[in-house]
Amino acid sequence: MKKRGHEKHYYLMLLPGMVWLVMFSIVPMFGILMAFQNYNPGAGLLKSEWVGLDNFKYMFQLNDSRTVIVNTFIIAVGKIVFNLLVPLIFAILLNELRSMRYKKLVQTVVYLPHFLSWVIMSTIVIGIFGYYGVVNTVIGMFGYDPKLFMADAGIFRQLVIGTDVWKEFGFNAIIYLAALTGINPNLYEAAAIDGANRWQLIRQVTLPALTTTVVLLGVLSLGNVLNAGFDQVYNLYNPLVYSTGDILDTWVYRLGLQNLQFSLATAAGLFKSAVSFVLIFISYRLAYHYADYTVF
Amino acid sequence: MRRNMATLLSVVLLGLSLTACSGSNEASNNLKASSNPTSDTATNTKSNTETPALSGDDLAFSKFPKPVDVHIGMVVDPTDKTLPEGDSVSNNQYTRYLKEKYNINVIVDWTAATGNDFKQKVSLTIASGKLPDGMVVDDRSFMTKAASSGLLYDITDLFQQYQSSQVKDIMASTEGRAMENASYKGRMVALPNITVDTDGVHVLWIRKDWLDKLKLPVPKTLSDIEKTAKAFIDNKMGGNKTIGIAGPSKNSFPYSTFLVSSNNMGGFDPIFGAMDAYPGYWLDDGNGSVTYGTLTDKTKQTLALLADWYKKGLIDPEVGTRDNVGDPINANQAGIFFGPWWNGGYGNGDSFKNDPTANWQAYPVYSDDNKWNVHMKTTGSTYTVISKNAKPDVVKAILIMNNALVRDEATFDLSVNVGWYPLRNVMAAANETEYEYAELLKVLKGETNPEDYNKPNSLYKLMYADAKKVKNVIKPPFEDLNVSNFSTANFGDFQRLYSIMIGDRPFTTIPIDKKVYSVTYNQTETMETKWANLKKMEDETVLKIILGQASIDSFDKFVKNWKAQGGDEITAEVAGFLKK
Amino acid sequence: MVRNITLGSRTFEIANIILLGLLLIGCLYPLWYTFCVSISDKSAANAGLVTLYPIGFSLSPYKEIMGDPLFFNAFWISIQRTFLGTSVSLLITVLMAFPLSKPNREFKMRNTFMWILVFCMLFNGGLIPWYLTVQNYHLIDSIWALVLAGGVPVFDVILIMNFFRNLPKELNEAAVVDGAGPWSVLFRVYIPCSIPVLAAVTLFLGVYHWNEFFNGLVLMNTSAKYPLQTYIQQLVVNIPVGTNLTPEQYKKLSELSNRTLNSAKVFIAMVPMLIVYPFLQTYFVSGIMLGAVKE
Repeated sequence: MKKRGHEKHYYLMLLPGMVWLVMFSIVPMFGILMAFQNYNPGAGLLKSEWVGLDNFKYMFQLNDSRTVIVNTFIIAVGKIVFNLLVPLIFAILLNELRSMRYKKLVQTVVYLPHFLSWVIMSTIVIGIFGYYGVVNTVIGMFGYDPKLFMADAGIFRQLVIGTDVWKEFGFNAIIYLAALTGINPNLYEAAAIDGANRWQLIRQVTLPALTTTVVLLGVLSLGNVLNAGFDQVYNLYNPLVYSTGDILDTWVYRLGLQNLQFSLATAAGLFKSAVSFVLIFISYRLAYHYADYTVF
Repeated sequence: MRRNMATLLSVVLLGLSLTACSGSNEASNNLKASSNPTSDTATNTKSNTETPALSGDDLAFSKFPKPVDVHIGMVVDPTDKTLPEGDSVSNNQYTRYLKEKYNINVIVDWTAATGNDFKQKVSLTIASGKLPDGMVVDDRSFMTKAASSGLLYDITDLFQQYQSSQVKDIMASTEGRAMENASYKGRMVALPNITVDTDGVHVLWIRKDWLDKLKLPVPKTLSDIEKTAKAFIDNKMGGNKTIGIAGPSKNSFPYSTFLVSSNNMGGFDPIFGAMDAYPGYWLDDGNGSVTYGTLTDKTKQTLALLADWYKKGLIDPEVGTRDNVGDPINANQAGIFFGPWWNGGYGNGDSFKNDPTANWQAYPVYSDDNKWNVHMKTTGSTYTVISKNAKPDVVKAILIMNNALVRDEATFDLSVNVGWYPLRNVMAAANETEYEYAELLKVLKGETNPEDYNKPNSLYKLMYADAKKVKNVIKPPFEDLNVSNFSTANFGDFQRLYSIMIGDRPFTTIPIDKKVYSVTYNQTETMETKWANLKKMEDETVLKIILGQASIDSFDKFVKNWKAQGGDEITAEVAGFLKK
Repeated sequence: MVRNITLGSRTFEIANIILLGLLLIGCLYPLWYTFCVSISDKSAANAGLVTLYPIGFSLSPYKEIMGDPLFFNAFWISIQRTFLGTSVSLLITVLMAFPLSKPNREFKMRNTFMWILVFCMLFNGGLIPWYLTVQNYHLIDSIWALVLAGGVPVFDVILIMNFFRNLPKELNEAAVVDGAGPWSVLFRVYIPCSIPVLAAVTLFLGVYHWNEFFNGLVLMNTSAKYPLQTYIQQLVVNIPVGTNLTPEQYKKLSELSNRTLNSAKVFIAMVPMLIVYPFLQTYFVSGIMLGAVKE
């Protein structure tokens, strides 16, 4: 089949997108240079003083930088894992429902918390886990003393991960639901005729069909490996949980807030991007070599 | 010859206007700034001539021969509905006033809402290096960043020439602190904001109605407060979840610091003061060196006390993690909290709405040897910055706008919120609230008339409006005002007058025994890189000790770490300010 | 779909219904709470007293928000932005996804372009250079800033590209045999077969544009040009007139929260999503016949 003539059409199709990309992503990228400068708004990008890796050195020399990065990593990875698994399981369970109306209802309601900002959700979370909140009331019924959850550094990370999943699983399930509709019903019938029960149906038909989506989302979510969620943490944390809850973004926010430290913020952003890129690249190669699968 | 006549005429007119406008004597006794108003007629005779002989107040209020365009970025309150139909941020009574009187054409380049939005816009503007001619920033670090980047106009000289005598007097009343506040490396780079001293005076707010029901006296010392809080809780005065003492939320702090030295609602400032401790402030040792107040033994003792109170259940169990400072106060769960004058009235309006008998009263907290110790705030926290690229005429225009605001605010029709005045940066007499307290009492008792305060050039711009309403809001008897004396028919008026008459009562009527100023209220060079980390350690340690998550012994470790991680360096730099 | 009606199956179904029901309640609560706070009495809400049901009744925050003509102005701007933004983004995204879904031997530069996109998804110059760039294009204060400044939605490009790649090869071959060029294949074959993922992406893009408030704040100079979310989120607590509060006190007071207003804001902004979603849902729920391939 002669497909050579098609290539110029492919370029044409890519053209508007690439122009858009250049204009709004690539041109501003020159700003990354700020990470290697002591940016002075009066002098501009071209004339600001160059300081090489000083900003990075400064970041990593601070006493709590290791803790902060570890916190960020743990929270972000926790979120990635659970934000992949929970929506998946939910989508599969939802798919098993027979009542169309109930399905639609659940689907609609669970996707709505995504639209609440963390300003509101944090009030709710703090209320639920507060001294006189629901959780402590329930605990009290079993005879235990009330616990100050929001002051407990030991469970803060779990709290952050858990409440984020609560908020986002409905929305994140959408892409799985879309993928599920693409499954040919004949496949189910064929497997059922072969005597498969419900679990086997899920394992043999549903899951494989979702595999590529899961892997894709997984690899792409590595882009967020150091994004623990500024909005959420900022609205939930307090000095008592700094040791486990202070993340890269809140830390840079406090560092930078004092002096509009643009260079520092850019350096932190560059660090995050670089780590993400490396991880994505590695996982892409691994998938290619071991599973013969090109993720994207 | 004609010029001399004109000068003579203006001097005579000035003299006449002085006698006409001198007002009551008590006012001038309380004033920290002079009460010599300038008369409009004097300046009008000079308004159309740009002669080099202009100086002093003539220059300060001179009209430009040709219109001068001033580009500004402006903060707005999006919920404000006081602009009449057809008016806007670029066209309202204030902009028209500036155009007519001074030929100043205000052009609003951009606006943003009060708070984070405005902060965001300002930081972006600074980052892009293209400032509008003028804008008011609400964070000193923005001003210093802009200054260190060479973006600001050095107004040292022009300010000397163009400041009105009123402005000069107000600046002088701060004994150089306002000037230091507005300067960067010795040059004046912004117009400072000067706010009332009382914003930094934190007092005890307590439910007097609860005290009365329990027949308890007003607590004066810390041990009194301890007993009172216990009594409130034991008697469940606020219901089953009664809180003795409300404290900071997850976003606020146990004490104000040298960088944020005022308006700390829900902190523990008076408690520290009563123990003669001044955490967060730089203290002059008296022998050429300084100490950071948080590191002192007295602070350690106060923290131990607070930890003890927390353990006994006297402090809100959710202190430091609570979503919002106001919650237990507005829910009428808490019987005690600490904060400045406006916290009762403005600050806890919902408490009154939820319980109209809530008789919040304000009192000082005394040390065991009966002293009232208070740490005092910096002069102000907002700055009018002018772009380096502004033309000199524009700079002069902005200075004149400031002069005009200070002088004429009292003459404006305040039904249009004065917040619409372009580049409004408050320069108030430091004792404005105390003045109003004293004078409003007189009006109430019939000793003076509201009309007595109808002085267009008065330094106390809201006095007349308040004097007119006070009798509608407050009923006799006027000694020992209680919530029952107040009418809440106009809730806004109620809030304002409650804050003045009850909130400011301590500061006005009781002398402070020890006023402590911080050696500096600004950042030093090393602070730019090391302070955030030190502050984080400080906040963590303090809160952990209070909540009992760390023992009081961890305090010593904190001090050691603090000094090692840049604290000593910074302390030496601050000590450098002493040698000035 | 044939199901086995065994006891195990039955138990599973009931357990499933209950579990999903619990999730339903768990997700409903935050919304219910927000709604209750928004119609409660302001003072009760500000005291943190509202938890399971409204206390008092007041529609004043809604009146305050919607009573301003600027609200409807912002609403209209958001509609324009969402419509323009979603259609432009969707079109370009699909156009990009198609060539990228071709294997390397058919389109040699494919991998290069792909990695450029991934790189751009991860790296960016930061807020300030981006802002300066938009400023230099003279787009500040224009609706096109809102539509375009978010950049190419690379994530969605990859999603659609992946979906295209997994479509049966026979579809493409059949169309090419019939003489169709790449454009026809894309518009007449691939797109109609990709409705679920396109619906999903449309939803994502629409939600993004509708919810996005930060760009609206920094790229527009006055509130007359704000999209809805930007307009709404800037509303702070109402301070009585003539109070002469300093900006600092004002700021502190607004931090003291105005819960009813904040909740009403969230609710109003959420309502369109609530309405739109059920329409898009049909694309996720119904099955799509892939029998377009003639075997």
